[in-house]
Amino acid sequence: MTMANIIINGQKISTKAGITVLQAAREAGIDIPTLCDHPALSAVGACRMCIVEIKGQRALQTSCTFPVTDGMEIQTDSKMVVDARKLVLDMIFSERNHFCPYCEMSGSCELQDLGYRYHVDHWVFSTYTKAFPLDATHKYYLMEHNRCVLCGRCIRACDELVANHTLGLGQRGSESMVRADANISLGESSCISCGTCTQVCPTGALFYKRSAFMGKDSLTTKVKSTCNQCGIGCGTEVVTRGGNVLCVLGDWDAPVNKGLLCKMGRFEPLYDSRQRLTAPLLRTKGKFKEINWEEAIQTLAKQINTVKASEIGVLAGSYSSNEALYLIKKLFNEKLKISNIGLTNTVAPRIFDKVQGTLEDIAKSDVIFVVGCDPLNDQPVASFIIKRAVDKGARLIVVDDKKNGLAPFAFMNIDMADINKAIEVAKRANNPFILYGAGITKTAIAQIKKLKEKANYIIVDSGVNTKAAAALGLNNGYDPAGLKILYVLMGEQNYEGDDLFKGIPKNAFIVAQASYLSPLTERADLVLPAAIWSEQNSSLTNIEGRIQNINKAVEPLGEAKPDWEALQLLSAELGKNIAVSIDKVSTEVMKSLK
Amino acid sequence: MAKVKVKVATDWLAGCAGCHMSFLDIDDRIVALSELVEFTSSPITDLKHPPKEGVTVGILEGAICNTHNIEVAKQMRERCDILIAVGDCATFGGVPAMRNLVGTDAALKRAYLETESTVDGVIPDSDELGKPLDTVVGVDKVVKVDLFIPGCPPRADAFFYALTELLAGRTPVILPPELFTYD
Repeated sequence: MTMANIIINGQKISTKAGITVLQAAREAGIDIPTLCDHPALSAVGACRMCIVEIKGQRALQTSCTFPVTDGMEIQTDSKMVVDARKLVLDMIFSERNHFCPYCEMSGSCELQDLGYRYHVDHWVFSTYTKAFPLDATHKYYLMEHNRCVLCGRCIRACDELVANHTLGLGQRGSESMVRADANISLGESSCISCGTCTQVCPTGALFYKRSAFMGKDSLTTKVKSTCNQCGIGCGTEVVTRGGNVLCVLGDWDAPVNKGLLCKMGRFEPLYDSRQRLTAPLLRTKGKFKEINWEEAIQTLAKQINTVKASEIGVLAGSYSSNEALYLIKKLFNEKLKISNIGLTNTVAPRIFDKVQGTLEDIAKSDVIFVVGCDPLNDQPVASFIIKRAVDKGARLIVVDDKKNGLAPFAFMNIDMADINKAIEVAKRANNPFILYGAGITKTAIAQIKKLKEKANYIIVDSGVNTKAAAALGLNNGYDPAGLKILYVLMGEQNYEGDDLFKGIPKNAFIVAQASYLSPLTERADLVLPAAIWSEQNSSLTNIEGRIQNINKAVEPLGEAKPDWEALQLLSAELGKNIAVSIDKVSTEVMKSLK
Repeated sequence: MAKVKVKVATDWLAGCAGCHMSFLDIDDRIVALSELVEFTSSPITDLKHPPKEGVTVGILEGAICNTHNIEVAKQMRERCDILIAVGDCATFGGVPAMRNLVGTDAALKRAYLETESTVDGVIPDSDELGKPLDTVVGVDKVVKVDLFIPGCPPRADAFFYALTELLAGRTPVILPPELFTYD
């Protein structure tokens, strides 16, 4: 590593040669204001806020794009620099309507912060007169062009992070506009509603509809958590005010998603219109009666005590936390000796002996296999990572008998039966990466084993916490025949049809632990209300085998309880005290994953 | 000999009176201020125009949206030594400048002729009224302004801070960050 000795504002600094002046200054704790710069995006020098004086350079230079060299002398706050920054700000403010009291983002705006910092107290140039369009066609966010500073963060996020290429810049100079596709509305564009553009926008040009005008940053509370909508386990920041969730942001520090989220994680849980269950319900003479938890747990314990272990079946839903799955194993399987335990979703087979890779490894591969899984529809953030690699030249091979969301991006689309053709291609690759799911066929398994030496892989299990469930051995099959009690831990999962009830004896006592009203809860004899993603402390295991915490952002609705708390109450009632803590369970799950 | 008080005059242009209300929110400090300051004219005193002999500090709230506003601003400028523009309308154009985005003609038509409850509407055009301008602007676009205090409204403490700084002879007045706000 070549070092460079430079001087910033008279301070001698030794830094890596080739990094930008902005990076060097930040490392030394010297603050240079920026607007178009974003840590997750490439530097483009669009806004000119970060200009600095560099000895020997003819004009002021944008520090975000200028590399340091040995002996460089830099002034970041000279009069010339500050005057130029003020001029730049005055020009940005004069271009469109940046009048704060109109704007939802006032108080959470980087342009406003700069206005305050440089004391912009009137318009030096002409007062705004031109009205720019407002695009309200998108379901989840608004694009208010009057607030746009043309920094291009949204465009870069759409290109570089999500690889969706919906946004671009149209026209030139003062006519420049951020556009979706060929200048069509956001609502009808190729936008996939991941919301990353909205999260990176420094002003109020892009903002969420649902949380608009619900309070500036300083009035909200942010809780770091983990998304539970698929097996990726993206890090989130849940933004709340007064006990209500306003919005969900991607956590830039999260190792899995590095700030990205998808529609499923960012928006859909906030728009869930299913009816919540808020109190335990017991069917009495054909009708539901609200009861308290004590009564509910006593009733359940009594039922369990009256039948044989072989007459009890347990189904764990995809959303179950590590803690709940652990309790199911400890209580039902180990203590009560119930072996009839299954999952509501299928588990992909283990093919390779070696340890699987991480999502990050996808970027290093030259050929990517997607076999029997559909990340674009089921684990969208994984598809962003794949599409990004494809943009950089990796070849994508989709092997699926069904219509696959990633097919349009693939170099090769083939059926499972023809997988040998793809294997031939992969043999010539340096770093093939395989993502496979439960859809993989026996023929494909046999073929793909040929790549065991060379390929890195990830098992893309369907559902959410399937990896932990499989690791704890809860997928050994479930048979409804002869059941007297069926315990279903549904959580937030959608009830997906009658097949669940096939073969269950008519007089079986059905217990549904669920967050939402569904045909399952309608048919149940005892309903235990479950807390949802924002209301509990628990942990999840992602498809990489990473154990991550869900942190409570708001109180559970009504009497709802986290899935594992209800199971713990039951174990106590049955006299089988099982100690549960998130740390302890995480260690146990970690052990079983190996 | 009684101490000579510093004369202050205020007036409003195209505004909502909110800045004046915020000024009054300095509460009991106005009593102490009155020891040092003589409030000569304002929209809430009997005297409406700044005295001919002039004042030291003139304070204007509101944007410039018609010819009458220009006259008022010019008279205040002529009769004061230090002119302060207070509030987002006087400093930036503010809410009245929303009119710029549709144009004056369209705004007048919508307001006086096309509102859902209007029957046989007329756009007022009496000679006694100021003529609307094509563009609504801040006060600094028609007269020289010495100090800008933005805010919608500016905080009461910002008024008090600015006046006490001026009374102490400290110029230019630099508002501390907690008193410098756009909303």
